[in-house]
Amino acid sequence: MAPQPYSKKRKALTRDSPEADEVLLSDGGDDFEIALLNGIQSQSEDDRDEEDEDASSDLFGGDSDLEDEGGSEDEIVSDEVPSDEEGDLADVKQNDTATFRATEGNDGVERPPPNHKITEDANGNPRYIYTEIDPVYDSDDSDAPPTQNTIGNIPLSFYDSYPHIGYDINGKKIARPAKGEALDALLDSIEVPKGWTGLTDPATGEPLELSQQELEILRRIQMNEVPDEGYDPYPATVEYFTGKTETMPLSAAPEPKRRWIPSKHESKRVMKIVRAIREGKILPYKPPREETEDELEVRRYDIWANELARPDHPMNVPAPKLPPPGYEQSYHPPPEYLPDQNEKKAWEDTDEEERNQEFLPTSHDALRKVPGYEKFLKERFERCLDLYLAPRVRRSKLNIDPESLLPQLPSLEELRPFPTTCATLFRGHDGRVRSLAVDPSGVWLASGGDDGTVRVWELLTGRQIWSVKLGTEDAVNVVRWRPSTEAIILSVAVGEDVYLLVPPVGDPEIETKGREVLDAGWGYAANGATSNAKKEPATQWTRPGVRLEEEGVLVKFSLRKTVKVISWHRRGEYFSTVCPQAQSSAVAIHTISKHLTQLPFRKLKGLAQSASFHPSKPIFLVATQRYIRSYDLSKQELLKIIQPGARWISSFDVHPGGDNLIVGTYDRRLLWHDLDLSVRPFKVLRYHSKAIRAVKFHQGGLPLFADASDDGSLQIFHGKVVGDMMENATIVPLKVLRGHTVKKELGVLDLDWHPTQPWLVSAGADGTCRLWT
Amino acid sequence: MGRIKKKGTAGQAKNFITRTQAVRKLQVSLPDFRRLCIYKGIYPREPRSKKKASKSSTPSTTFYYTRDIQYLLHEPLLAKFRDHKALAKKISRHLGRGEVGDAARLEKKGATKLSLDHIIKDRYPTFVDALRDLDDALSLLFLFANLPSTSTVPPKTIALCQRLCLEFEHYLITTNSLRKSFLSIKGIYYQATIQGQDILWLVPYKFVQRVTGDVDFRIMGTFVEFYTTLLGFVNFRLYTTIGLIYPPRFNAKSYEQGGELDAIVLEGRGIEEPKQIESFKGHVNGEVDGGTVPTKTNEEIQKQIATIKEGPNAELDVLEGQDQYQALDQEMNDAIDTFETTGDDADVLPQPQAGGNEAGSLFAPFTFFLSRETPRQPLEFILRAFGCKRIGWDAILGDGAFTTNEADPTITHQIVDRPPMASLPEELQVSESPSDPPPTTVVRPGYRVPGRTLVQPQWVWDCINQLKLLRPDLYAPGATLPPHLSPWVKPTKGAYDPSAPLAEQEREGEAEEAEGFSDDEDEEAQEEEVEKSDDAAADGVALAPSASTPATADLQDDHGMTIAGSESESEPASEADSFAGFDSAPESDTDPTLTQHQRELEAEAAGLNFSETLTKANGQPVKGILKGSGKGDEARKKAAKRRREEEEELERRKMMMGRKKRKVLDKMLYSNRQKEGEAEALRAKRRKIEARRG
Repeated sequence: MAPQPYSKKRKALTRDSPEADEVLLSDGGDDFEIALLNGIQSQSEDDRDEEDEDASSDLFGGDSDLEDEGGSEDEIVSDEVPSDEEGDLADVKQNDTATFRATEGNDGVERPPPNHKITEDANGNPRYIYTEIDPVYDSDDSDAPPTQNTIGNIPLSFYDSYPHIGYDINGKKIARPAKGEALDALLDSIEVPKGWTGLTDPATGEPLELSQQELEILRRIQMNEVPDEGYDPYPATVEYFTGKTETMPLSAAPEPKRRWIPSKHESKRVMKIVRAIREGKILPYKPPREETEDELEVRRYDIWANELARPDHPMNVPAPKLPPPGYEQSYHPPPEYLPDQNEKKAWEDTDEEERNQEFLPTSHDALRKVPGYEKFLKERFERCLDLYLAPRVRRSKLNIDPESLLPQLPSLEELRPFPTTCATLFRGHDGRVRSLAVDPSGVWLASGGDDGTVRVWELLTGRQIWSVKLGTEDAVNVVRWRPSTEAIILSVAVGEDVYLLVPPVGDPEIETKGREVLDAGWGYAANGATSNAKKEPATQWTRPGVRLEEEGVLVKFSLRKTVKVISWHRRGEYFSTVCPQAQSSAVAIHTISKHLTQLPFRKLKGLAQSASFHPSKPIFLVATQRYIRSYDLSKQELLKIIQPGARWISSFDVHPGGDNLIVGTYDRRLLWHDLDLSVRPFKVLRYHSKAIRAVKFHQGGLPLFADASDDGSLQIFHGKVVGDMMENATIVPLKVLRGHTVKKELGVLDLDWHPTQPWLVSAGADGTCRLWT
Repeated sequence: MGRIKKKGTAGQAKNFITRTQAVRKLQVSLPDFRRLCIYKGIYPREPRSKKKASKSSTPSTTFYYTRDIQYLLHEPLLAKFRDHKALAKKISRHLGRGEVGDAARLEKKGATKLSLDHIIKDRYPTFVDALRDLDDALSLLFLFANLPSTSTVPPKTIALCQRLCLEFEHYLITTNSLRKSFLSIKGIYYQATIQGQDILWLVPYKFVQRVTGDVDFRIMGTFVEFYTTLLGFVNFRLYTTIGLIYPPRFNAKSYEQGGELDAIVLEGRGIEEPKQIESFKGHVNGEVDGGTVPTKTNEEIQKQIATIKEGPNAELDVLEGQDQYQALDQEMNDAIDTFETTGDDADVLPQPQAGGNEAGSLFAPFTFFLSRETPRQPLEFILRAFGCKRIGWDAILGDGAFTTNEADPTITHQIVDRPPMASLPEELQVSESPSDPPPTTVVRPGYRVPGRTLVQPQWVWDCINQLKLLRPDLYAPGATLPPHLSPWVKPTKGAYDPSAPLAEQEREGEAEEAEGFSDDEDEEAQEEEVEKSDDAAADGVALAPSASTPATADLQDDHGMTIAGSESESEPASEADSFAGFDSAPESDTDPTLTQHQRELEAEAAGLNFSETLTKANGQPVKGILKGSGKGDEARKKAAKRRREEEEELERRKMMMGRKKRKVLDKMLYSNRQKEGEAEALRAKRRKIEARRG
């Protein structure tokens, strides 16, 4: 409650301050005085604060008495002060200059702006109600700079003759402050009190006087005495012990023995040391031996006095010794070891680390001409590095004759004959030749290709004898002869159709026989159809039409899907066809004499790829994508599943002996199976870089087989099968025949052996056939 | 199902440890680890699978066997290393404070040398093990014995190396166990056999070694420290086994005067073998009591020699000496008796040959004198090791000579290595000055003292390698020396042997084949020859007029016609090679005209100019056609055919092998072919040289 009115009051007070300030400043004629004045002023302000507070408390409430005693005292003091001031005022009234007291007095006496009105409160005491202060910018200029003398840095004595001492910032004269009461000063100077210094105490503003004590201290300092009064620098000595011997001892006890008998304990310790010295445990100090030349002589002793051999540890690899020098390292080697110019240049050109010899052999005709070896130190250093830095590995070096590793093979003479060169080239097909076959007599070659024609050539000359166009859009996929020399019949698969034809080549008798064989079935088909009416035949054998019949094409029947493989039974009575895309009718067996088609498998596991009759037994083999199954035809049961382990079988062929099988696969493998041995391949041959299309054994008694691949090559192997069960088949690679060009990633599509000669014919994707002899 | 095994807890992951891990485990710095590895003979390993051995993803390069590192963990040296490290820290601290005295005191206190004795015993449990590993030690110590002292190689080390090497040499001399030696361009190889162990080491020629910046002497120093310790113990053992005191007395005075071998005086132990000691003293090259009687007149020396002559161990006459040795042999009881089988059906057990003493008696009867220009140190060592007792040399070569008088009449052999003078006056020119107490005889250079054999140094080496005295006239001064051959190369089948005649080593028909090819090469060789002779002329050495230019020209004429067809024929041959077929190439026995025609056709196909083809190939074929069916041609054709057939056969057989086996075979064949190719190249060179020589 109290502070607010106080502050308000104070602010009201400060309004008048410019005047007061002016007074204050004009007061300072001297620096010292100003400082003094400041101090005084600050004090006076404190006083004033207190007084104001009291006043306010007086004003505000009756309980002000309760507040504190000091306040009341101050009030008394403040009451006194105005009285003093009034007295002063009387002295210097017209001057219109005032000391701080005067100003305060002014404050107290006349308050020109009546910014309050007096009312009466509840108790009947007067109550001051102040008007609101307008807080404008200039309302509080308590921090306005004090008036300053602007005369600058000149002695004030220049103004001695003037009533003022300078000018303030506004150009107004600053009046000389009053010098106090000159008379008082005079009186003071006459009667100097004790302890007078002529100085003014800055703390109180009164003349500084020294007290009696202080004067005493000053005196002592002047007299070079210790300033402290009670301190005695030279105290009298107090003797705690006396130097005089007492005539009468204090104790009558006799002197103890130990005073004159030597100590036993000490002598014990000494004796201990003596004994140690005698025993040599303690040696007299010897200065450390200086290093002498004998330092070279390290103590040596027989370190292997009781040596014990340690068994060799397998992980311990002793450092290999350096090889002894060869002839080329000699200082005077045989002349053939010296490098010629080319070798020298080559040696110099190679990088130092890549040389297989770190020096060049040089010859010196006398020992005195041999220079020092430049890299000696470096080589030794590298050996050191090798010894501790190089990993050591035991490597067993194979030191055997390489011949012993090679398998023993039959000599080349034993392997002959086999085809080596291309003897005849059959040109004529437009587009790929898909299939070919040599007739059982070995004179004719039939081929069929993408152009839909079947052509018959003379094998030896390469002359085309006969041709017929069977398909307009479909390609001729397979061409196979019936395996009989008596009647010549050619089976052809074009798209979904199968044709049996008798080409008009060679002996007319044979030709007519062939016609007879084919015609024989017509009647049976008519009869059989009546007898077995209950079951729908798989297909109907028909005549192909007059135009084709004139050309020799006698029978035609069609299956549901494209026929890819035809294979004949050895007797020529049956043949099988394979249509890989067909489901249940993939494999069909056809009987020539009855013109009958049978579908032996109701369902096949996997896509049928190829099928073949066993050369001697009533066994039928069917190859699906991954397996080859052999069926007993008489018992009609599954005999064996052969697992070549290939991804996709392309073709297979059975050895004429019947116990071995070769399988060609699209994943570039040629597999030899020994059926007696295992269902797994006996040998896996991978010599082709592309898929294998066809494989064939030689059927005429020669131990040969061949494969045709998409890389455009044919490979001929010697594959000898011995009747002895214990002996494995000997397979020897013989020859790679290259000649067909690869077209659209297709190379050789089919091959066939001559029935008796070691001749091979191959059909290429480049539209040619080749005879290899 | 068992518990799943945690990865990296067994097998390779556990058996191998990377270098960083090892260093961390041992808590030493890398240089200290290196030292430790060198001392203890620990070396990195190559794990079978690096990936399994290293646990981190980054590939580590160096692996150690974990057991090895564990074994290092208990090494007392490790504690020493740590002490050293602590001491080094203290010293550096004192130095940092400027307390030099304290630092010096500490340094003195810590200067104790590392003792490697236990490591020697540890690494080489038996003495033979130590001998087996002496190759590198000797090579390195002999190198250091010949190094100048630098800041990195303290003189003390060098002195120690020199002494140890000399001691070892002395042992070899005493026991005559040096077997072979070889002068190579790198230095001199020696081989000794001690207790059945062959030790081969290399000593550099006495030249200042070139020190390159990449040689770290700290590493070498570590090795040297270890090897000196090893050789010290080995020497001790060797000396004590033959009854000598180790260390032998070291004659510092003689050493300073370049005495080398003479600086070490062997002493026998006790009274057991006084005779042996006598013989050892005899080794000290005539100066048996040089220490006691320093001033000796020449006559006295002569007298002494006379007494030596009379003694049983020293003979001058060869025959006499041999007789005596035979007598000695019979007297000896230590020798093995020969066992003769009585029955026919008994097996014959092989016995070692009683040939140990041959080495000791090879040079025994002779007195050698080494001329100023010969390398004294190796010659002295070898001669002494092979029984020579008296070796004199020029005073320049150092102290310890039997005689420094070149004109000494007792000298039987003189080793010279200087070019012969143009005129050789066969008289002795001795300028004697009788006034001086020791009469100095000076043989003027170029003069020859009669009555002795003069040989070049190589004679000594060739003699000891073949263990017999060779004809000295082949090694006479100025003579063209026979090639110096390495005694360690054993003739193996298929490898080239320079000592055997060429005809024995050739494949059949190789010479005929080669005849054809050597046409144009001959010209080159001729050029070379000319250059060489130029060089030789510049050197000022008279070259024997071996294959002069007219001779070679004749040769060329002789061969010109027969050879001419070679180039034309080589092409079809190579063609046939590339043709991988069985068919015997029909071209092989066709007329050259046909081949030429074929070549022309080929050229046409290739789009070459006709003139170009002519210039390229036709120049010689014209001749070839004229005389096409030369002998060389046929041989070559035949050989080519045969080779091709063989190759085909091999290919055929290889096709039947498994992949792994085929790889092994290929490797073997490759290396065999490499060797054969080298041998063939050498044979071809020799053929050429021989042809040029005529």
